[in-house]
Amino acid sequence: MGRSKLISSTRRKPRKRARLTKSRPQATSVAPQLEPGAPSDLQLMKAIQAEDADALSQLYDRYNGILKALILRVIHNEAEADDLLQEIFMEIWNQAKNFSSQKGKPLGWMVTLARRRAIDGLRKKQAYARAEERLQNETEQQPDAWAHNATEEEIVLSDTRHLIRNVITGLPPAQQQAIDLAFFRGMSQREIAAKTNTPLGTVKTRLELGLKKIYDGLKELRGEL
Amino acid sequence: MNFKEFQNQSRLYVIGALEPEELEQFEKARKKFGKKAEDYIGECYGLHEAFALSLRPAKASAAIKERLMAMVRTRKEA
Repeated sequence: MGRSKLISSTRRKPRKRARLTKSRPQATSVAPQLEPGAPSDLQLMKAIQAEDADALSQLYDRYNGILKALILRVIHNEAEADDLLQEIFMEIWNQAKNFSSQKGKPLGWMVTLARRRAIDGLRKKQAYARAEERLQNETEQQPDAWAHNATEEEIVLSDTRHLIRNVITGLPPAQQQAIDLAFFRGMSQREIAAKTNTPLGTVKTRLELGLKKIYDGLKELRGEL
Repeated sequence: MNFKEFQNQSRLYVIGALEPEELEQFEKARKKFGKKAEDYIGECYGLHEAFALSLRPAKASAAIKERLMAMVRTRKEA
């Protein structure tokens, strides 16, 4: 893909309220919409596969904030998060040939890669204990990080983020906590049970119920975006 | 394991929350259900995207992108 076709843009379309038809593909992707004329994520990935550095630059501009937020949520360290973000985009560049659109969306692939690297990084750097302490402090100050973020009035949320948060924060706090520990900290059910002093079966039920509600909620959201 | 149970397990699988003994059963069911299973797992990875999009974007240091693009240029020239 030529450079001229890769129009850089991170602005989003104006809010659309019309419900789309039910004939859309049944995927749970809720990626933000782009301005008309902006290259799609898939177009950028194909350009990166063809070693177009400008495409990587655009993909970075579009998603560095989201990926850094994810990394920060895992490792709770600004400098380490910046370093890891750079490593992850380098891995996106190096591993782009392994991306297949048949297996999912580019953003999903990048998030999966970033989460894995962040959790690996957390363990390898032996920062686990430090992050644990920081998280504990944060948790004491704001028992529910998702709910806290959702009520920060000074932050203007995009439609997508706002709607997704509504789905997540609509869960009972115990389900949110179980999912938070599993997804952002890479904990197994047993580890969550031990950390929260909860029977293993209860943890499993919380995860199953919470994830199902989010999954179903995301399907509903596709009609709202 | 029926397909509904497999769907429940798939959502746990994609976030890495299956215990080893569950993972074994899951992989057997995955083989049994074939393409239908793979398609469903693919859909479940949309959860990753959603969790990331639920977070308030964080600002990365400006130097990071410069370093990244310099590394990419070096890699291309090599």
